[in-house]
Amino acid sequence: MNSRHINIFSRRPDFGAIVGVVLLFVVFSLVDFSNWWSGRTLGNILQFTAILGCIAMGQALVIMSKEIDLSVGSVYGLTGIAYVTLEADLGVPGAMLAALAIAGGIGFLQAMAVIKGKIPSMIVTLGGLFAVRGLIYVWTGGSAPTMPRDSRAHWLNQLLGGELLGIDAAIFWTALLLILLTLVVWRTKFGNRLLATGGDESSALSRGIRTDRIKTMAFVLCSLLAGIAAILTLADNPQTHVTLGDLMELEAIAAAVIGGCLLSGGRGSLIGAVLGAFIITGVRYELISLGAPASWYITFVGIVVIAALIFNQFLARWASNQA
Amino acid sequence: MMNISIRQLVRQHNEIGIILIAILMVTLFTTTSFDKWANAYNLASIAQITATLGLLALGASLVMGTGEIDISVGSTFGIGALAYLGTVATIGPIPAMLLAAVAGAAIGLFNGFIVTRFGVSSLLLTLSTLLVFRGVAIALTEIEGLSFSVPYDQRSGFFYQLFGGGDILGINTGFWWLILGLLLLMAFLYATPGGNRLLAVGGSAESARSRGIRVTRVKVRAFVICGVLAALAGTLEGGKLGFADGGMGRLMELQAIAACVLGGCALLGGRVPLTGVVVGAFVLSSIQSYLVVNGVQPQWFMLLLGVIVVTAAISDRALRDWALRSR
Amino acid sequence: MSATSNNSHPLIEVRNLDLHFGAFHALKNVSVSFDSGQLIGLVGDNGAGKTTLIKVLSGIHKPNSGEVYFDGERVKEFHPKQAIRFGIETLQQSVGLCDNLSIARNFYLGREPIKHWFGIPFLDFKKMREASTKVIRTFGLRDNVSADDQVEMLSGGERQSIKIGRAVEFKNRVVIMDEPTNHLSVREREHVNELAQQLRDQGLLVIYITHDIHQVHKLADRIVIMENGEKVTDVAKHEMTSDELEEVIRFGGRDVEKEEVTV
Repeated sequence: MNSRHINIFSRRPDFGAIVGVVLLFVVFSLVDFSNWWSGRTLGNILQFTAILGCIAMGQALVIMSKEIDLSVGSVYGLTGIAYVTLEADLGVPGAMLAALAIAGGIGFLQAMAVIKGKIPSMIVTLGGLFAVRGLIYVWTGGSAPTMPRDSRAHWLNQLLGGELLGIDAAIFWTALLLILLTLVVWRTKFGNRLLATGGDESSALSRGIRTDRIKTMAFVLCSLLAGIAAILTLADNPQTHVTLGDLMELEAIAAAVIGGCLLSGGRGSLIGAVLGAFIITGVRYELISLGAPASWYITFVGIVVIAALIFNQFLARWASNQA
Repeated sequence: MMNISIRQLVRQHNEIGIILIAILMVTLFTTTSFDKWANAYNLASIAQITATLGLLALGASLVMGTGEIDISVGSTFGIGALAYLGTVATIGPIPAMLLAAVAGAAIGLFNGFIVTRFGVSSLLLTLSTLLVFRGVAIALTEIEGLSFSVPYDQRSGFFYQLFGGGDILGINTGFWWLILGLLLLMAFLYATPGGNRLLAVGGSAESARSRGIRVTRVKVRAFVICGVLAALAGTLEGGKLGFADGGMGRLMELQAIAACVLGGCALLGGRVPLTGVVVGAFVLSSIQSYLVVNGVQPQWFMLLLGVIVVTAAISDRALRDWALRSR
Repeated sequence: MSATSNNSHPLIEVRNLDLHFGAFHALKNVSVSFDSGQLIGLVGDNGAGKTTLIKVLSGIHKPNSGEVYFDGERVKEFHPKQAIRFGIETLQQSVGLCDNLSIARNFYLGREPIKHWFGIPFLDFKKMREASTKVIRTFGLRDNVSADDQVEMLSGGERQSIKIGRAVEFKNRVVIMDEPTNHLSVREREHVNELAQQLRDQGLLVIYITHDIHQVHKLADRIVIMENGEKVTDVAKHEMTSDELEEVIRFGGRDVEKEEVTV
């Protein structure tokens, strides 16, 4: 590799995330070799990375269109609870579809509020975060439903939640979604328009792009992905709780940002979002195994997001100097 | 003068909307739930809740006025309460209150610094700060040997009562602090150069800067004032309750933002109807109280709050667009 | 108030100024100097760098390299506050007014008149209202527009008049006007041009940016042409006619081969 190759490689949006992952492996191998490299630890981390990564990819899509979705954690929780609760009446496939429909519906409603109501997505999705969380509490009455045993054995649940070839299914499915979405964003017209909308909305409009439709699609996809992540989680372990998904919106944003998505839109990387999810998950697991109290987790997420935000600014400045 | 149209009135006095809503609401609640909601005891309780929420919202409205947003006020509120309650027994109410104010100022300074120095989104940053200090508050309450409650014999001291622990004219002192705070802020915002510049920054930071105004300083100052007000609100709440836990202030940040939006504040800055904000806080506290006295599950409030914020923002925008469509 | 520059150095001097916006090279090695008692016409096509240059002078942009000297002293901090302190009053083209504030508040933004009450500085509303009303009447705003009206409601021409009135009111040593005749009627334009000349006669340095080369040629003592971020021409009025100057703007000021444009 000569210096020109390195230069081009370092221009990738996810360059920071790739470096971060490598660093992570190096540091943790030095600090806690035996635990870090155990199949169990890595397996857990990878599975959770798959879940968070799925949500982060959705967030990345919205961020690339220059919006933001703060409600994904609550949507994740609601979809999960809807899936488990509705299973009794609709059966496993029916409940899955219904739950995903709810997720998509919320995404659509929020998109409408942003586009027709002309309010910043920050406020709409902030309101969504609380409204949906409140809805969860109201629907469940505070108690956490779970799925009966024979439903857990349903083939769909096994396919989405069990193990395939010794690896957790969630990892497969997220990898599949990653490949699909990456192709969509970088090889289809829709993806092109998405990046154009986020990069410079007025020039996208003047080129005839229906930015309203693009953004609506981004919001719906984002909520759907959060819903899919919930299904994957519950197919594996149908235990729910009312705080399901708490804080995940911020983790998803941090993951997307670490992964190279510019909050100013138009630039990003889906694999970067997944790598970002890996970094966040890995650090969290390692901190806990090294003995940090669990109540520090909230502070930890906050600090990670702040660091990611500052990093994002430097990335943006660097990127504009390259363009 | 005689030709003032309704459009003009709405344009110039943004509080009108929320005041009308408040009047409607009070009428509705009183007629449907007279003895439970509209009695003196309940109203005094609403006044106290309005006080703490109102102070939070006033601080948040100043930051919103500069075009930023501070959603960490809930955690600053909690830290303020803990700072006050953790030390009041040993150093007395006034030093404890000052300590809380300093803690609030420090958090505000941190927020303002990171936002202006790095150009980071204030919503995302203060959401993170919200988490950071929530965790700190929880960790503080988990430390062995630290107590955050005030022994009963201390609760009758004059200054302790003054800072939320007692009543004046049957209403918690916190409420009177709110009124005082409102008047002071109105004087600052509408009648001093500092206030003019704050509104200018919210209206167009670029134009303000081109006239020589140090936009960074104006924004940081707003964040600091917001932090101080949030911490003081926490002090008053702590003074009233006599004890605090790590979860104090949870959800209040969203209520504060909701109160601002309900009161007519422009989300992007430049418009801060302070009285509207306080009335907005009153409306939210009243709704919460109404739900409680009628036995509705508190979880409904969270749901309602989210819906209210979005609806209020949409209506405000629609109303503004309508009012502007005339010359 | 009107400063005559020391004969040993110019009032404003710019040396080798370079400015990038990301990858866009906005100012390329620009060097120019201005003395007081002059009216400089700064002209050039869109994107030539005129507005960028004066934004550096008014402290809005910080150059990547090069120096700026005010009255012989090197400028270390680039902020509009410093420029104002030096005595530069600028009429910006697209910024300068806050829609959410009244005319009076906009007028005095950054230099609010105060009255002390118990030691606290409060806005002197009476003075603000009186002075800004006087100015807006002078500049012909409709009689039913008052100093307390929000700027948001005004037309483009009315806003421009406020900006001009403000620049004239707070003039100090330098007045920079970026396209001051935008949105104005013919009579109003004449008024502005008269004002610019009066300011120059009072001993100030006036920098006047415009597209109308023929107009400014009549007013100015010196013409500076910019193109693609570079200074390409710097002549006294009598050295070139306005037609010759227009040629330079249209066809470029460099001795390069230009392709024949066929229509």
